[in-house]
Amino acid sequence: MNEELDSQLSAMFDGELPVAECELLARRLSRDEQLKARWGRYAVIGASIRAERGVRLNADLARRVSSVITKEPNIAVRYVERQAARAASRWFRPVAGLGVAAGVAALSILWMRSQAPGQTAELAQVIPDAPAAAVATSTEPDSYVVPRPSPRLSLVPATQLANYVVAHSEFSSPVARRNLLSAFMTGETGTAGASNGSEEASENVYDDAKNP
Amino acid sequence: MSADVSDLSLVRRVQRGDKGAFDALVLKYQHKLVKLVMRYVRNPAEAEDIAQEAFIKAYRALPQFRGDSAFYTWLYRIAINSAKNAVVSRDRSPIDYDLDRNNPDESYDMQGRMKDSETPEGLVLTDEIRSTVNAAIEALPEDLRTAIVLRELEGLSYEEIAAAMDCPVGTVRSRIFRAREAIDRRLREVFEGGLGRAEELG
Repeated sequence: MNEELDSQLSAMFDGELPVAECELLARRLSRDEQLKARWGRYAVIGASIRAERGVRLNADLARRVSSVITKEPNIAVRYVERQAARAASRWFRPVAGLGVAAGVAALSILWMRSQAPGQTAELAQVIPDAPAAAVATSTEPDSYVVPRPSPRLSLVPATQLANYVVAHSEFSSPVARRNLLSAFMTGETGTAGASNGSEEASENVYDDAKNP
Repeated sequence: MSADVSDLSLVRRVQRGDKGAFDALVLKYQHKLVKLVMRYVRNPAEAEDIAQEAFIKAYRALPQFRGDSAFYTWLYRIAINSAKNAVVSRDRSPIDYDLDRNNPDESYDMQGRMKDSETPEGLVLTDEIRSTVNAAIEALPEDLRTAIVLRELEGLSYEEIAAAMDCPVGTVRSRIFRAREAIDRRLREVFEGGLGRAEELG
């Protein structure tokens, strides 16, 4: 027998053969009776060295098992079916998860919709005449209204921000620059106005805007 | 690398319908399994019957084996359950040994507690095999003997043996192979001379 093959068999018996070689040798081992007998003797050698007392080293066990298994139906069909079922469950799980997520989302939307009309009705009850009153009182023609300044204090003084924008004006378009500057001016005055508690702040800005 | 790799190659072949590959697994583990079962039943013949049943159960259950654990660990569990069932069904008390369930391999201190009083004729031949193997080991050059003993008795990997013997892993593989070949030559003479069809059985 080929010495290299026997050496591989010995290494495979010890689980020390690379996987790729194992695959090839396993195929050969399952068909080659001589190789199988040698493999069996390797097991006997191991059992003898370990002095496995009470164990019959010449037992007929392998032959008995083999004769029963020969009559057994092939397990390959069941194995393939099981693999397929496993693969299907791998595919099914994320899809089922998505389905559940979509269902929950749909239910949430439906629930929110069912809640929404009630809220609208409540709002309508709270301010039932507000739009009508607004329409009724707005007899004056439409005009430019400066928004009321926010009572929040800005973190950075608007003048500093304005200086920053002017310094970097070459990177912005003229329209954007103008908008920013007017916003800062509004904010600066508004902030001051808010800090003074004056209701006339917006009027001042309006004047400044008209007469720069 | 471990025995799992070679076992798994054989297991995959069986799962794909190659029944011959299962013979190799039986040949490899039959002695270990019989010894394991003998912790529950005293009679070697009965232990062999239970081990046979365990192997057949394992074969039938192989489609479910995914390879998450080592094949022998899985087989070990099947054999233990078979042995327990056999003991219960025959209304016998198991030998009350303190089993180390975390170690599926044999513990050598068990050897002294084994009963050899029931000695079937097979054990006589077993003694002959054992003495032949021992004589062959004694005749080996020391480096080969050390390598095979470290492997079979101590269960060391090739890498561990290489470290212990201060030589490359390839040398260890070669030494173990040559030791086995030398012992096998003597063993074949016994099998061919005294055991008849033992060549087929291993």
